[in-house]
Amino acid sequence: MNTLSYSRRDMLARAGGGFGMLAFASMLEAAKNPFSPKVPMQVGGKAKSIIWIFTNGGPSQVDTWDYKPELAKRDGQTLEGFDPKTGFFPGSVGGLMKSPFEFKQHGASGTWVSDLFPKTAMHVDKMCFIHSCWTGSNNHSPALFMMNTGTTRMGYPCVGSWVNYGLGSESDSLPSFVVMSDPLNRGLPKGSAANWGAGFLPSVYQGTWLKPSGAPIDNLAVPASLTPQRQRAQLDLMARLNRESLAGSAIESELNARIESFELAYRMQTSAPEAFDVKGEPEHIQKLYGVNEKHCGHFAKQCLTARRMVERGVRFIQLYSGGMENQQSWDGHKDILGNHRGFANESDQPVAALISDLEQRGLLDQTLIVWGGEFGRLPIAQKGAQPGRDHNPHAFTVWMCGGGVKGGYHHGETDEIGFKAAIDKVSVHDLHATILAAAGLDHERLTFKFQGLDQRLTGVENPKVVKAVFA
Amino acid sequence: MRTLLFILTTSSALAANLPPDHAKRMERGLKLFDSEVASLLKQNCLKCHGGEKVKSDFDMATREDLLRGGSHGSVVVPFDAKGSLLIALIRHEKEPNMPDSSPKLPEEVISKIAAWIDDGAPYSAPLITGKKPKKDSSVVTEEDRQWWAFRPLKKVQAKSIDELLLKNAKGMSFAPPAEKEVLVRRLYLDLTGLPPSEVSDTANLSDLIDGLLSSPAYGERWARHWLDVARYAESTGFEQDYDRPFAFHYRDFVIKALNSDMPYDQFVKWQLAGDEYEPQNPLALAATGFLGAGVFPSQITANEVESSRYDAMDDMLGTTSSAMLGLTLSCARCHDHKFDPLPTRDYYAMLSTFTTTTRMNVDVHPDGKVTSAVTTMNAKKNTPVVPGATRMMICAEGYDPIVMHTQGGPFFDKTHVLKRGNPLMKDGEATQGFLQVLSKPGDAKRWQWQPPKDAKVSGRRRSLSNWITDVDQGAGALLARVIVNRLWQHHFGTGLVPTPNDFGKTGTACTQPELLDWLAAKLIENGWKLKPIHKMILSSRAWQQSSARDAKKEAADPANGLFMRFVPQRLEAEAIRDSMLSVSGVLDKTMFGPGTRDENSKRRSIYFNIKRSQLIGSMVAFDLPEPLVSQGARPTTTVAPQALVLMNSPQARQWADGLAKRVSNAGDATKQIAMIYRLCFNRTPKADELAAGAEFLKSGASLADYCQVVLSLNEFIYVN
Repeated sequence: MNTLSYSRRDMLARAGGGFGMLAFASMLEAAKNPFSPKVPMQVGGKAKSIIWIFTNGGPSQVDTWDYKPELAKRDGQTLEGFDPKTGFFPGSVGGLMKSPFEFKQHGASGTWVSDLFPKTAMHVDKMCFIHSCWTGSNNHSPALFMMNTGTTRMGYPCVGSWVNYGLGSESDSLPSFVVMSDPLNRGLPKGSAANWGAGFLPSVYQGTWLKPSGAPIDNLAVPASLTPQRQRAQLDLMARLNRESLAGSAIESELNARIESFELAYRMQTSAPEAFDVKGEPEHIQKLYGVNEKHCGHFAKQCLTARRMVERGVRFIQLYSGGMENQQSWDGHKDILGNHRGFANESDQPVAALISDLEQRGLLDQTLIVWGGEFGRLPIAQKGAQPGRDHNPHAFTVWMCGGGVKGGYHHGETDEIGFKAAIDKVSVHDLHATILAAAGLDHERLTFKFQGLDQRLTGVENPKVVKAVFA
Repeated sequence: MRTLLFILTTSSALAANLPPDHAKRMERGLKLFDSEVASLLKQNCLKCHGGEKVKSDFDMATREDLLRGGSHGSVVVPFDAKGSLLIALIRHEKEPNMPDSSPKLPEEVISKIAAWIDDGAPYSAPLITGKKPKKDSSVVTEEDRQWWAFRPLKKVQAKSIDELLLKNAKGMSFAPPAEKEVLVRRLYLDLTGLPPSEVSDTANLSDLIDGLLSSPAYGERWARHWLDVARYAESTGFEQDYDRPFAFHYRDFVIKALNSDMPYDQFVKWQLAGDEYEPQNPLALAATGFLGAGVFPSQITANEVESSRYDAMDDMLGTTSSAMLGLTLSCARCHDHKFDPLPTRDYYAMLSTFTTTTRMNVDVHPDGKVTSAVTTMNAKKNTPVVPGATRMMICAEGYDPIVMHTQGGPFFDKTHVLKRGNPLMKDGEATQGFLQVLSKPGDAKRWQWQPPKDAKVSGRRRSLSNWITDVDQGAGALLARVIVNRLWQHHFGTGLVPTPNDFGKTGTACTQPELLDWLAAKLIENGWKLKPIHKMILSSRAWQQSSARDAKKEAADPANGLFMRFVPQRLEAEAIRDSMLSVSGVLDKTMFGPGTRDENSKRRSIYFNIKRSQLIGSMVAFDLPEPLVSQGARPTTTVAPQALVLMNSPQARQWADGLAKRVSNAGDATKQIAMIYRLCFNRTPKADELAAGAEFLKSGASLADYCQVVLSLNEFIYVN
């Protein structure tokens, strides 16, 4: 979505606003076009695009990527000193519970992976695991906000908006930050659009939510009462009349940008539906992702769309795996076995295919994939007919792949039962600083003036880039 | 002697705990400082804590700063190494381990630092030569009161706005007046958000201003500006984003108040405490919706009950201070404000105003009686509305709070001062008080209002409103400055203070301080009525200038802080849509009542229902801000989704059809085009515009196709 204008007057005068990180010259450039590609600060990785697979609801670390043999040994024992307020249901605290899934080692790195992800496990030597993540909330929407915006409160700019603000766009006909949510009518992540909002950043940087059914973007189709030819004639007349009234205007560049925005909109009408349409992909690619498989077709289409967007220069793509309520997402309060089996089954093949496909096109190096939820789950059981696991803010695993991260690498550790991050702990702010670094952005210099302060994604508690993850 | 000096500068609280042998120990500590510790600190700590940076707000350059601690609270306790966070951090017993990103210090270094702390942590000199300790930001000084926004209004002798502007104009003069046709359109859109509906060639401008100020459309236009500032929406936000079906009464209150030219001080008083002023007046009750318009979670775990209550009160206080005082007071929630004299203790003194204030639905009976409505957040267990009564959401005290989805109660009986904003770190109970920097010395009781014995309210909000509107002793002068600046901003596109929500040190400086104070004084003289101020501004030569380009002035004054020219402005989302409805002849002028989210609605855009998770697409495309925190000024972007709305939305086409129908009987194409230009731009088309239009229509395009083009033109979307 290039060639969009922000008047310089507004830039300079808007309440509490200001492009903090930019030098004056680039500020003027940004005033002309908020999406003009900006020079990255070259602090870490080499990602030009980021695909964030948000495993909504909070997958259990001890049932996925964080192998804990000690937990199996202590199966059924009481966890001494456990604060029942740690999770969401203080009244359903059970004993320690071993993982119902079988773990095996994979790849040259010997990475332990549960049998939930047989296909993704084939890529472990390209994946980089951070086992020692922790967050500040034990409740979905504050934790989702934390993961997306760096605070548990509603209304702050999300990572995608910051990346967009920092890097601009490389696409001249697509939104530069898109979000795809569950297409099976299982709802949006809790807090919905606030998870991809621009907060106090200009609203042009907010995520564009692609509607899971019907036309993905509003007003993209020429109305039935018009034809493309007649619309073309309209735009020609409009440009002619607009140009005539430009002469002598004090805001000529702003008005010029408006003329161009109509041309861009006209192009988007054809380029955007083309980008969203996976039907034109060769059969072997559709098969690789599982587009026509019943168990994973919906997520396969979204992963494939994500790849097509990366090819077209879209900066930031967020995919939500799962919907809103308990059993509609990775939120396995009841029946952790059935819940996780179901959501892993939906996403394992498409995610593995995405990695292979980006790699075979030479795009993996410049595309960072992030996989993770808003928190982890407890090593103890949540009591019930089929036991589940309650929320755990103290530990969860996030993995990254591509974008210059080290393959087969494991960072940080949890304690021996996977309850709390113990070694080389990584806060959400650290994680954000690291993701920004992967895109070449320095989290300390990516600032925006609001309410009198140079605000940044990563707050003031001295977050650290996890440098060890970069190759 | 030197030792004595250090003891004298220690705070008195600390002095009480001094060990008996402190003098001797300080002497020993000083030797250790001079021989070793000073250079150890310089080597290992100073770079990030006082040298190149001040990380975690912790500065070690002077002893005073060291003892003040940082964002983690106290770092060094003199005479108590064990109780000092610093030692735990460098021993790697607590995180973040220090020194950051470096190997752990050798044991003998740690023990020397510990010994020095045990001997009182004395300094013989700052670690950076000549460095002075930072001012204690919890104390408000006479110097702090000298910041322009905190001073009493300056008495400015002047006859007019123009006189004051010209005085500062650096030799420039006003641009020539805009043509009458342009001014009329500018005036209509400015005051009513609608284009001129009838040709008004004969009306003199002064009469037209009066006429438009008394039009109901004025309130509908200007209320929307205030709703941005009030972060107004009609849903809870967060997980479920439940509707607040009775919240729209607040929007109606704002429209009614502006249309009746309610004095601004009363407007403020009612929003903070309408129920304490007139407990049976529905309008006064509805006004308190201001406090309740913010977000609130719909799923609260046991350990979030308290923090979410503090968040909710912060939302009330933060919005009050941004909207009414142009202060970023929420910054002082975790630490003294870094730039403005707003200590944390003032924040909590102000916050305690709202201790028992919550959202509640009440039924206002026809006879004026007001009763509690028992309602829940998701409206599933609401009692039926009393027949004949009106149910409204208020944010007050004394009625049944709306039942929230929480594992705790609606509020706590007390508000505490919190360290670092953390409810687990309470530092005594907070009692109501006001900002020191905006209070003349004396007893805060002068503002206190004692409710009648049988009242169900605390009186605290009315007390706040007394202080905030008190021009001589309290915050009234700033209150007046902030609102006249908002008026100016919406007339000119930029305020005299370009950052309308920040009059503090981090805001942008006022470009015309004398004019601002003069206008504020006029407001107060006029009994806080806004319409006379509008009239003064609109009648000025400054406002009536032509917007034609003047390259010389642009170069000399790019931000137009001198106001020697008029800069064209893009209309806001609402005014664009309302203008389209108006010229297409389909505008439904019904006022007030519940809104809708149907984009096909033909009512003015202010009557859109605002659900935080489902904001109206066409409004957002044209920069409607997210209603989460107070927004003082909207950005103006130009993005492709705006073009898509105008090209492809069913509504754009409908309005174009309406306009086409309206002019279809005007005669031939030339006459139709002329009528369209009159309706849309309040002028006659030029010859080449006529030719272009006629040519387009001849090529087989429909009249509606043409109308859609006109409604998308820059000239339609901008005010010249």
